[in-house]
Amino acid sequence: MKKIKRYLRLYRVFSSQFFKTIMQSKVDFLMGLLGFFLTQLSGIAFLYLVFEQIPDLKGWSLEQLMFIYGFAQIPRGIDHLFTDNIWMIAWRWVINGDFDKYMLRPMNIFFQVIAEKLQPDALGELLVGSILVILSVSKGIVIVDAWHILLFIVSIFAGALIYTSIKLFFASLAFWIKISGPFLQVAYEMADFAKYPTEIYNKAIRFLVTWVIPFAFVAYLPASFFLKETVSAGVILIECVIAVVFWCIAYAVFNKGTHSYESAGN
Amino acid sequence: MIKIENVSKEFVSPKKYPGLKGAIRGLFSTEKVVKKAVDDISFSIEKGEIVGYIGSNGAGKSTTIKMMTGILTPTKGTCMVNGLDPSKNRRKNAKNIGVVFGQRTQLWWDLPLSESFTVLKEIYDVSDENYEQRMEFLNEVLELQDFFDKPVRTLSLGQRMRADLGAALLHNPKVLFLDEPTIGLDLVVKDNMRKAIKEINEKYQTTVILTTHDIEDIEELCSRIIIIDEGKKIYDGSLQQLKETYGAKLKQTMAESQPEESKEIKLADIVKEIYKHGIV
Amino acid sequence: MKKFVRTYLPFMANEFKRQLAYKGAFYLFIFISLFGSFISYYLWMAIYGSSKSGVIGGLNQQEMVVYIFMVYVTTSVVMVSVSNWVSDDVVKGTVAMNLIKPIDYRISLISMAMGRAVYQFLAPSIFIWIGVEVYKAVALGQPMVSVTTVIIYLCSCMMSFFIYTLFDFCFGMIAFFTTYIFGLRMAKEALLSFLTGQLIPISLFPAAVQRVFEYLPFSSMVYTPVMIYLEKYTGQELAFVLLRQAVWVVILYALGSLIWHKVTRRLVVLGG
Repeated sequence: MKKIKRYLRLYRVFSSQFFKTIMQSKVDFLMGLLGFFLTQLSGIAFLYLVFEQIPDLKGWSLEQLMFIYGFAQIPRGIDHLFTDNIWMIAWRWVINGDFDKYMLRPMNIFFQVIAEKLQPDALGELLVGSILVILSVSKGIVIVDAWHILLFIVSIFAGALIYTSIKLFFASLAFWIKISGPFLQVAYEMADFAKYPTEIYNKAIRFLVTWVIPFAFVAYLPASFFLKETVSAGVILIECVIAVVFWCIAYAVFNKGTHSYESAGN
Repeated sequence: MIKIENVSKEFVSPKKYPGLKGAIRGLFSTEKVVKKAVDDISFSIEKGEIVGYIGSNGAGKSTTIKMMTGILTPTKGTCMVNGLDPSKNRRKNAKNIGVVFGQRTQLWWDLPLSESFTVLKEIYDVSDENYEQRMEFLNEVLELQDFFDKPVRTLSLGQRMRADLGAALLHNPKVLFLDEPTIGLDLVVKDNMRKAIKEINEKYQTTVILTTHDIEDIEELCSRIIIIDEGKKIYDGSLQQLKETYGAKLKQTMAESQPEESKEIKLADIVKEIYKHGIV
Repeated sequence: MKKFVRTYLPFMANEFKRQLAYKGAFYLFIFISLFGSFISYYLWMAIYGSSKSGVIGGLNQQEMVVYIFMVYVTTSVVMVSVSNWVSDDVVKGTVAMNLIKPIDYRISLISMAMGRAVYQFLAPSIFIWIGVEVYKAVALGQPMVSVTTVIIYLCSCMMSFFIYTLFDFCFGMIAFFTTYIFGLRMAKEALLSFLTGQLIPISLFPAAVQRVFEYLPFSSMVYTPVMIYLEKYTGQELAFVLLRQAVWVVILYALGSLIWHKVTRRLVVLGG
């Protein structure tokens, strides 16, 4: 308990330092926000243009697809906001030896990595996601009751943890292969598959994004639970189980990796 | 304080081939190259010693330091610092040691130095009282107050090194590792750094291990030196002894080859000779 | 000319070699870059499945498949981002060194881009392209693309390459004014994926929007060569779109020179 309190205080110290640097570069902050906002917007505009041509997509209406799309952005944004530094392990810190300093401090290494940076660009994703979800709710296509609201919150955090775990796992490979950025990028971009109903894909891809790199459980599958009464809450349960299992694996690999770290450079 | 027994460290890397053809060949090759950076080294260091750990570029100095600080895990052998194995008890060990890498800062690049110290105070759990005491001492020997409010990236190299040394000492570590602490500094700053290291060692009985290419660092600071070459320990003893034994030998060989030029033998000459030809 | 080639060929060759050096990246980037195409493929299959008419935006289902994968082939040789290199050079401070050397910075960047384009054409674009033709012949029983079309397509791609790299050079100049170009790059990529026809054929946009696109250089980057490949242009129309590409090359070249002139003067004054 005392330990948790100490880490919470440390997190506050770190993040307040970080906010000071953000305030010094407001332009960068706004441009980053704009970048991610526009990226999300292009996905939505795409759906609009397509639905000019068709009444529905495999039984899903435009409104429902918008909800799925928006819902998918929230866990993505949360993970992006808090753990963006994981990318640095994959691309830079291991190959050039900057990871040294994390090994030298008497703190949990993973904590240091994520505490050092908040990525404000993620607000672009969170903004688009929240707007779409709120619009969907106001249109009355989403099931809203206490039970669903509770599971909604559980689901976005479990989803964010799945994102973090997948990122951490692939970034940790850098401890053995020096640069794991390309691998991480492949895995991360798989998430794009799950922005749409996975029914549209063939069996192999569907299996891949459901069970191997389980982004379907971050986006499309839980989202459908909030759209259709017929979908069981078991989906959220499986999502949580996947989140915990993937986290344990990723964290173990990360820990093992720090022992294989070769501290290049110099 | 420090006990190193039969420690080795190997690095494995994929084989590289030259040229454009080589690049294509490399795509399909799985051949590996094993490099022994540190090869079966043993030594022990007592509390309060200042030890110079020297050798030519790539001899394995940094690798050894990194094993003692917990950054690298030894391939073979045991390494104990203050009774702890750094690779197994990384966090506990980190509280006991302070580290300065001359080539790389551990401060927060974009933050004012004062903020870096505030964060470090939290990280190392230094009490307010101890913090003030330490800062007073550090200001005295390193004169940090001159640039305490400037962002780290705007500091000159000399200021940055002083800041890094101060940061490494904030939690009053039992052992201080310095990897080329005076590299690239001007003569005055070098002198100040050495004075500070000496003072800390005398006042707090801090054990200091330093690697350097600067002969003056060794002459002014170290009572004992360890020389390594290609990962192997080739000398371990007092500076005095090295000067006496090898100085005499070198003088003799020089007298034989160039009898007309009798000049004084300096420590730099001895070290150069050892790097070139090893211990004779 | 000979001297020109001798000066800038090494930039191209080095970039080509550098790409080969990253073993893991070599296979993986191919894989990643195909993701988007496969997502589009399945999405469009579902869209055609849900559509009552078999033609969307002037393309039938088979043509859409060709469109998606030829967009991949075209983008991989056309859209080589030189602005990344510019911002790297600015951040590292090596841009000043490039000013000292007796070379044209922009040409050296475009030569590097060419090395990258050749590399990406060989791995894997040419295989995707062959795949497209095999699919047409075997699965659809259609005739293969004619040699004339291929030649015109490649010429068009060449101009697209210059339009994109010259444009991106201008974009890269922003790096001189801000250290964080990443966000803007994201914004640029998002916008371009729309404006160039990468994400969706321009023929699907509302007529008014299409008319605006006529006056922008972006559709000349990807949409034009792909539609040429699909043989959607004939006679006068074909000549017009090719001419339009050529005009954009000239305009963007001039624009780049102008901006570069201004930026370097500022650099000299401020002492970058």
